[in-house]
Amino acid sequence: MKRDVTMKVNESGVQDVVLEIDKLHKSYVRGILVNDNISLSLRQGEIFGLLGPNGAGKTTLVNQIIGLVKPDSGSIMLDSVDIVANPGYARQACSFQAQTQVPITGLTARQAIELVGRIRGGSARHVRERAWELIDQLEMEEWANKTADSFSGGMRRLVAFCMAVVVPGRIVILDEPTNDVDPLRRRLLWQKVRALTGMGSTVLLVTHNIIEAERAVDRLAIVNEGKVVGMGTPGSLKENGNNNMRFELILEPMVEAPVLPEFMQHTVVTGQRLVTRLTEGDMAPAIQWARGLKEMGIVEEFSIGPITLEDVYVKMVGHADAQEMMEGETNHAPIASQLRTYAKVAGS
Amino acid sequence: MPQSLRSYGLMLKWQALSNKPLLPLEAAVQVMIAVGFVIGLSFLYPDISPTTAKFLTTGAPTLILLMTGLVLAPQIIAMARTEGTFEYIWSLPIPRMVYLAADATVWVLVSLPGVVIALAIGAIYHGFSLEVSPLVVPALLLVALTGVFIGYTIAYGAPKPQLAHLATQIIVFLIMLFSPVIYPIEQVPSWLATLHRGLPIQYMADLSRGTLTDLDVNIGLAFGVVSAWCVVAFIITSVLIHRRR
Repeated sequence: MKRDVTMKVNESGVQDVVLEIDKLHKSYVRGILVNDNISLSLRQGEIFGLLGPNGAGKTTLVNQIIGLVKPDSGSIMLDSVDIVANPGYARQACSFQAQTQVPITGLTARQAIELVGRIRGGSARHVRERAWELIDQLEMEEWANKTADSFSGGMRRLVAFCMAVVVPGRIVILDEPTNDVDPLRRRLLWQKVRALTGMGSTVLLVTHNIIEAERAVDRLAIVNEGKVVGMGTPGSLKENGNNNMRFELILEPMVEAPVLPEFMQHTVVTGQRLVTRLTEGDMAPAIQWARGLKEMGIVEEFSIGPITLEDVYVKMVGHADAQEMMEGETNHAPIASQLRTYAKVAGS
Repeated sequence: MPQSLRSYGLMLKWQALSNKPLLPLEAAVQVMIAVGFVIGLSFLYPDISPTTAKFLTTGAPTLILLMTGLVLAPQIIAMARTEGTFEYIWSLPIPRMVYLAADATVWVLVSLPGVVIALAIGAIYHGFSLEVSPLVVPALLLVALTGVFIGYTIAYGAPKPQLAHLATQIIVFLIMLFSPVIYPIEQVPSWLATLHRGLPIQYMADLSRGTLTDLDVNIGLAFGVVSAWCVVAFIITSVLIHRRR
């Protein structure tokens, strides 16, 4: 994806901070923190991803930024304005695509986009031209003058996206913008998201889709159980000393996980799939070990490649049906004893 | 101010377009309610007197306005809260009172055909002429707005949207059967009459009667009580829509 980012850089060479969140706490039910000591900052002209599982507190955080929810403590500063005290400023400065549906029943796509553009202060002519530009570039012409009652979920999401970006705010907040959108239009949509930064906006992208986020964002925060558990560029989050290779094995059906050699001490097991990080030096013994398992009919296939953001995410957040297996753990003794020899050979 | 007026116009357009598919149905329901009150209820009285006919006819506008404000508007808002679309509107850069003004305007306009038709049909069917005072416009506007604002307090104040739905169903029942709108207050038990002296419903009916007929009504008292309810409901609504979770 092309990244012709126009970023405002201050004299010291660091991008200006647009949004600064500091030590934010929020609980709905007393004692259960939905946001727990969240601190992060968004810089001018960047796409910042907010990733996390369901119930991690992402939407609550966004709702506090746009003034729908009030924090228990902590501060949110937008352009040095305290938006906890001035939520009206936040709504003026932020344009927003909610995760929920937008109230566009009875309106055509064009009417909905133009109305929000006018409400956001755009002139009638500018808004009309910009609405057509978005409709054209996202290939929505067929639906432009049809009422939303007949729209699919994906088309409603696209209209909601256009409503958020027709007159973009200083910060454009997109909550799961590609849900239900077809693959072709997803690519077009990501191009429009990147184009927003060229128009001077900063984008806060809330998503579950890690693969799309990895390609789209400049920086990201991973949120879990209300806390920020990781933050940085996708590249920096993937760095972990020398462990920058991803080793994946798929076990044959009905075969249980084997005893793991020392270099696989932090392995995530999801069903028949084992994923771990390796140093480049461990690659050769790992391949030898995996080949041995394959010959024994225990491993169906294996692969080694650069680590992905999804691996980092799973490691930080954990997964409902994934468990980390520590060295020597197994739940199938006969295979384990068989494999110990291979592990020893591979590890030596 | 011009910015607020611009936002008002845009929100009015949005609300009107959103309600467009429902408007014919809503208007038809209003007409049916009007005919039901004015003609249907008169079948309860085999030998209907001119006074009773006037009560029925002039009570209908109040009932229609209250049905819209206290029932229809809160139900639509409760539906938006359930769907989650409501918070989207709140995230837009428009003053919330401006949104509310646009919403209230739509509901008042939706009620108008039913009010006019009820009065016209009632007067023709029962054979009396309306004595229309210039005060009828502010009087009916006040009734409509009070109904809408009380409806908003239910819609925004209910902890869950389902509770707002339930509350509106109970209110319909109480207004239709236990309120001195289409019959005089003297016909209800004394305890209920005492209760109604503090509620706005009979005064809303008085506003309609006092500005459309020659029936003896304390119009000043009616304006005073209904205005007070309107202001209180407006203040509560304002507090409710500006609160943050």
